[in-house]
Amino acid sequence: MGRILIRFNEEKVSEPIAAQIIIEYKVPMAILSAHINSKGGEILAEVPDEMQGKVVQAFRKRGVTVTVPKLIEVDSDKCFSCGSCVALCPVEAISLAEDSTVQFDKEKCLGSTCSVCVDACPARAIKSVKTNGGNGSQNNKDKKT
Amino acid sequence: MSKQGKTRTIEEINEKIRKGDAQVLTAEEMKKLVESSGVEVAFKEVDVVTTGTFGAMCSSGAVINLGHSDPPIKIDHAWLNDVEVCHPGAAVDLFIGATNMSEKQPYEYGGGHVIEDLVAGKEVELRATAYGTDCYPRTSVKTTLTKDDLNQFYLLNFRNCYQRYNCAVNSSDEIIYTYMSKLLPRLHNATFSGAGELNPLMNDPDYETMGMGTRIFLGGAQGYIIGEGTQHSPKNLNGTLMVKGDAKKMSPEFLQGASFTRYGTSMYVGLGVPIPILNEGLAKKTAIRDTEIFTDIVDYSVPRRDRPKFGQVSYKELKSGSITVNGKKVRVSSLSSIKMAKRVAATLKSWIDEGTFTLTSPLERLPTNTVFKPMRQTEEIPFVVSVMHPAVTCTEDEAIRAIAERIVTKSVNHIVVVDGGCKLRGIVTSWDITRAMAEGKKSLADIESKNVITAKPDEPLEIASKRMAQHNISALPVIDIERRVLGIITAEDVSKLLGR
Repeated sequence: MGRILIRFNEEKVSEPIAAQIIIEYKVPMAILSAHINSKGGEILAEVPDEMQGKVVQAFRKRGVTVTVPKLIEVDSDKCFSCGSCVALCPVEAISLAEDSTVQFDKEKCLGSTCSVCVDACPARAIKSVKTNGGNGSQNNKDKKT
Repeated sequence: MSKQGKTRTIEEINEKIRKGDAQVLTAEEMKKLVESSGVEVAFKEVDVVTTGTFGAMCSSGAVINLGHSDPPIKIDHAWLNDVEVCHPGAAVDLFIGATNMSEKQPYEYGGGHVIEDLVAGKEVELRATAYGTDCYPRTSVKTTLTKDDLNQFYLLNFRNCYQRYNCAVNSSDEIIYTYMSKLLPRLHNATFSGAGELNPLMNDPDYETMGMGTRIFLGGAQGYIIGEGTQHSPKNLNGTLMVKGDAKKMSPEFLQGASFTRYGTSMYVGLGVPIPILNEGLAKKTAIRDTEIFTDIVDYSVPRRDRPKFGQVSYKELKSGSITVNGKKVRVSSLSSIKMAKRVAATLKSWIDEGTFTLTSPLERLPTNTVFKPMRQTEEIPFVVSVMHPAVTCTEDEAIRAIAERIVTKSVNHIVVVDGGCKLRGIVTSWDITRAMAEGKKSLADIESKNVITAKPDEPLEIASKRMAQHNISALPVIDIERRVLGIITAEDVSKLLGR
């Protein structure tokens, strides 16, 4: 399964685009988190790897911004493994290794849609990545101009 | 060993350290040895046990001396990287407090970060002002400095190394940000601090070997205990240390600035004490395990000195990652770094093994009978409980007309909606009733507010009053932790008492 971050603007948010795509492509899309109101919003979803390309294209064709999110960045030089973040994580993506080193599982992390750990880090070693130009999101960049 | 092998002295241990014969174990290793071989064998085999802790220690700071400018200045106010530093003495002596915050980046950068930057060899900017005197005519100075430019740069920490600390939770409905970090609402997480069985004071709880003059590991260099720390409270296992060390020799790995959102800045300090195993009793004491060290689970949502507690928990449970609070499983994480605490103990062990660190006898042991008193207050402040009165209530199945009558007969503006168990369900005001009449609404459910802003009985009235103003409302139902309605306070009650 791969993750995609789908962003709706004010104009697109009222259309049932996600539902249409799920039905049309028969894609078993798991919604991990969603923050949406009438002004727009974002959905973090998981789709099977083999369908990811098709689904991303389908959203973009309908004028929706899709990125393959790089979720959080951890500065391992700054992190001194206090562990403040561990119990805050709602999906148990942060744990302590055998030697008490704090470790992040980026596969589980909900990234910028969650960010509950970011302001709890006394070393300020965690940054949530809000926008991401990488991973083939050329469309995203074009849309901004 | 002297006296038929029952005791050994610090001089004997130091002699072995010089010869490279001393047996040194970290606290972690000592516990395993005692478990496998017993106290007697451990005493025979081990000369020194090294301990360690690495946590946020707010009462930390550094004394620096700048040398004189030309013309000289008697500094009145000074800033290092925009962090105000105090000027407690003569012309150019300054104290950098770890919790002082940058005026440009408050909560993010502070005195702890300035100390870390200086220790790391970075340049910091000094700004200072003065009123000018005949002997110190200069009124301002601006320059950059590194630690090499300073005459003295001493870490001087009033209170470090708490023997143990609270476990913090939040029972309120809102996130709170504390010095115990971010606490999620409704007991959704817990935090704790302290190294438990690795903590220096926990391994010598009668302070047999510790006191003024004990040489220790401090911030990556050798330092000294200079006495009991402030708030030292040995009788309930809350001992603390006051320490000093040459920060020019320290390492930024073991001395790190920290930022606590909406609390402020602090500094993480690595501190380790070598415990000479002078007798069998000390071998036994250094075998203490996390299962034997308990601390209170404290509700930080109550803004009082004596906060309510949810019972006790062992460091073993705290380090396991989850504890039970009020019958509910709660995930818990540490604020201090266990990984770094182990590194402190291991580094101190390596220094002794190499012969670069010898032990000292304290000139005066830490006191064992100090009491930590609360502040003497000459003025009492009012609490919610002092103005709270019984709430007029109704249940959800009552007719609006009956509620309207109650408003009139009881001459109140707020009716609290409760369930059969007297638990809070909502609130209705006389305004809501008027609106129901105007709009022809028949059912209580259509007009009651479900999202009720509440107060707790032991909150300061001032805080509850601010909450009313913030939400632009005129009353708060007072509830207990189970959301049972205890009473109500109104803006009128508050203004009568606080006079506004």
